[in-house]
Amino acid sequence: MMMKPATQPLPKAHKDETLSAFLDGELPDEEARQVLRELGKDAGSQTLLWDYIAVGDALRGLHAGTTAPHLTHRVMAALEQEPTVLAPMRQPRDRRVTLWLAAAAITAITWGLWQNLPEQAAPVPMAAKDTPSSTDMQAYLAAHQDFAQAVIAPAEMNFTQVSLAEVRP
Amino acid sequence: MRGSWLSILALLGVPFLAASSHASEPLPPSEAAALLQRIADASRRMGYEGVFLFQHDGSVQTLMVSNRPSGGVMESRLITMDGTQREVRCTQQSSVTLMINGTQLRLEKRLNNRHFPDLLPENAAPLANWYSVRLGAPDRVAGRECGNVELTPKDLFRWGYLLCIDRTTSFPLRAVMVNGEGQPLMQYSFGEIRLGALPKADPRPMPPVPDAAKPVANERIVANGLPPGFTRIAAVRRQLPNRSDEVEHWVFSDGLTHVSLFLEPARQPVEAIKGQSKQGMINMIKRQVGGFQATILGEAPWATVESIALGLEEKR
Repeated sequence: MMMKPATQPLPKAHKDETLSAFLDGELPDEEARQVLRELGKDAGSQTLLWDYIAVGDALRGLHAGTTAPHLTHRVMAALEQEPTVLAPMRQPRDRRVTLWLAAAAITAITWGLWQNLPEQAAPVPMAAKDTPSSTDMQAYLAAHQDFAQAVIAPAEMNFTQVSLAEVRP
Repeated sequence: MRGSWLSILALLGVPFLAASSHASEPLPPSEAAALLQRIADASRRMGYEGVFLFQHDGSVQTLMVSNRPSGGVMESRLITMDGTQREVRCTQQSSVTLMINGTQLRLEKRLNNRHFPDLLPENAAPLANWYSVRLGAPDRVAGRECGNVELTPKDLFRWGYLLCIDRTTSFPLRAVMVNGEGQPLMQYSFGEIRLGALPKADPRPMPPVPDAAKPVANERIVANGLPPGFTRIAAVRRQLPNRSDEVEHWVFSDGLTHVSLFLEPARQPVEAIKGQSKQGMINMIKRQVGGFQATILGEAPWATVESIALGLEEKR
């Protein structure tokens, strides 16, 4: 009868799961020590561990040192500073209830995150006198909303007086 | 939470790694035009029901959206789920906004019958003349695999877009409007979507709303030198909300960007005023043109609004 060698490497899926549990601090002490011992000997496990750590760092926003050369990278990097949009879990229940619950959840989460963000753009300085307020312009902004992609309240605007000489090229 | 790191790696790590090696040469014009048309067709022809998040100028809004194409007839709905209760109902022929405030219901006819995700115009291919189109990194939105498509303007007259389109259907799951520096100005992103589903027909018929807009007769102003690709797509007389007098409302568009011009008699000399929304997404200018006050505004760069404003002349 053939004996299974004691040193046979664990299947990859099992190794992945063990490493994941190790990083989550979910392994009992003895198993954690075993993982540490194996990490010292197994280059594959070390690489996998670094992958996990890199992803974790990225999630915590610790990868800012890399320069993103293309639009996708730049936009995605900027969006990481914006509220996180969480995809709600699919539930095999009434779709309408699910959609409303999902919407409530993502609104609550994103609004909470958004409140903690610093202001990103410096506002245009308000003119000293006789400039319109957003209220004066709301009728125009509201009418223009016919061409908006969503239903939104008219934006808050800042105004400055300009001379036609400044406007002309 | 055993295995949570595995899930994170599967959901986020792979796209991160794949992004670094992705090509970013602009697509040839014919391929770009074909891709844009596929995206436009997908959002218009597919049935769907979902919830998307809309972020702009420091605010977040959640909206439910559905589209029910049936026998060549489209019926879409957009419902706000926070703040003032509003609903937009569109068919191919008309569009109505319903505003519900307590027991009061206000109905207004819209000039336009499109809304997200129906972002690109019905004939989207000409946009390839004004935008370079590149394929970006793969990503995942609303639980679906998607690929980023970068629309970079070839001039200063339009904002850029980053779309994440569904891998199998080309349906736009996320759209980010960006300025020239690649900074996001606004974002639409599905949180949940049922693609290909045919939502239940709304039992309530489209409410009859009198057409508040009338055709413009006897035009006194002419718009010269519009930015490349822009044409006038609407010109009506209408009453603005909370205002008694009618104004002329003209709309210029390249299919993706819309700029409104409001014309009304100038009752006193009009000082030129420039306006800008918080993050610069909306630009506006008010000036006098002959005997008229002209107010030009839109989600467009300053160059676009300025160019349209400067090209206005009174007809001789």
